[in-house]
Amino acid sequence: MIKSSIPLIKPVAVERAKLAMQSTDSPPRPAFEVSNLSIWYGEKAAIQDVTIDIPAKTITAIIGPSGCGKSTFLRCLNRMHELVPRTRVEGKVLFQGEDLYSSGIDPALVRRRIGMVFQKSNPFPTMSIAENVIVGLKLNGVRNRRLLDERLEKSLRMAALWDEVKDDLHKPGMSLSGGQQQRLCIARAIAVEPEVLLMDEPASALDPIATMKVEELIHELSANYTIVIVTHNMQQASRVSDLTAFFYVGKLIEFDETTQIFTKPKETKTEDYITGRFG
Amino acid sequence: MSSSKHILSTFDEALEGLRGELLMMASLTEKNLRNAMKCLSNRDSNLCSATIADETEIDELEKSIDAEGVELLRRFQPVASDLRQIVSIIKICSNLERIADQAVNIAKRCRKLSRDPNPGDAKQIDAMFAQSLGMVQDSISAYRAADVSLARSVLERDKVLDQMNHDLAATLTATMGLAPERITDYLNLLFIARHLERVGDHAENIAEDAIYAASAEDVRHSKVQA
Repeated sequence: MIKSSIPLIKPVAVERAKLAMQSTDSPPRPAFEVSNLSIWYGEKAAIQDVTIDIPAKTITAIIGPSGCGKSTFLRCLNRMHELVPRTRVEGKVLFQGEDLYSSGIDPALVRRRIGMVFQKSNPFPTMSIAENVIVGLKLNGVRNRRLLDERLEKSLRMAALWDEVKDDLHKPGMSLSGGQQQRLCIARAIAVEPEVLLMDEPASALDPIATMKVEELIHELSANYTIVIVTHNMQQASRVSDLTAFFYVGKLIEFDETTQIFTKPKETKTEDYITGRFG
Repeated sequence: MSSSKHILSTFDEALEGLRGELLMMASLTEKNLRNAMKCLSNRDSNLCSATIADETEIDELEKSIDAEGVELLRRFQPVASDLRQIVSIIKICSNLERIADQAVNIAKRCRKLSRDPNPGDAKQIDAMFAQSLGMVQDSISAYRAADVSLARSVLERDKVLDQMNHDLAATLTATMGLAPERITDYLNLLFIARHLERVGDHAENIAEDAIYAASAEDVRHSKVQA
């Protein structure tokens, strides 16, 4: 089992951590404190005994070969994996000190506080651009038109999409390009003002320009959100993240500063994977 | 560094090719340095000219290795030990080229020297040459074998070379007063000693790069290196 404490983080995140330190006597609590987490799909163990602390307002990348459990791990952070039948969980996942798996916790509320962006952009096909963004708010009972309009513009601006769609808000979400659709989905995720954004290969279906726009957006959002991103693209992990976790056959092999992982990994398995000497 | 093969055999081949070119450049540089010193001991003006001309080949190799290194970075975007290897190769290549420059400087000084060397002076220069050449050879061996302890020994030996240069300068300066008619020769010997001291500095840089390539440790500008 790897016990990962909060590692040193790169300058921007270090500055944030310092600011957080100034406002409190104790060090900032990690957004997630995961301990001895194991997850089974039926008889198959997808995650085995993972312990990791994910600091708040940083970007943490999760890398590893297909089937290593990285998406399962991501989904367990907002209980999304429960949507798969015959799933069993052991261990603890604390979010801001609160056990996400204790009885009485509403998974829907968890998913509102911890939003998710998927690999394939999935705007609601029958809804307009505007409706796609504010649908989450409406489902949460918000009816105030002014508030909805404000949140619509704010979310689209944060998703770096406002200038491109402000005159076409009534058009179908599906009329946008692939990259725009993905940023629309990010706008939809942040419209409900979550504290965390989980991203499961958010740029894998996009062209290089759209990918860079999404990466730039991730960087900007990290000032206000804790972001955990699963990616197969190691250059992307290297570019966008403060911290990187390497998973292999359901186990956390190494978790450290991204700079450290990509220049001097401690574990041979990590080195072999990131340098392309695997399998 | 991982010993297993890269999934892309083209990467392994390209990196191995680059390492091979660097080691060839190191051999040529060492040969040039030896020839430069033969210029001093033999007072052979033809050898001086050949040594100066041979630098062109080393300059071309430097450009070629740099270009191939950049191409490898562009094509494969390597990380971890692979990235350190390529960065180190590019830096070592630059230091080898500067060692070759020093060999040329020595050859040019030798051409200016008269045919009547003072055996005592030459002996002290010979000792400096042996010290600096040994440092170059061992720094390259340390890189080739990823031998961190050998590289660290090179860093220590640079202090000895610096002291030898200091001692020789003191001896030559004192001798100048006794034989003012040969002051130009003594100045040329002083410059040759200075060039050998610079060779040691470049060998030290190569040893530092060898340590970085092997262990990712950056020992530059640290007071306690060994």
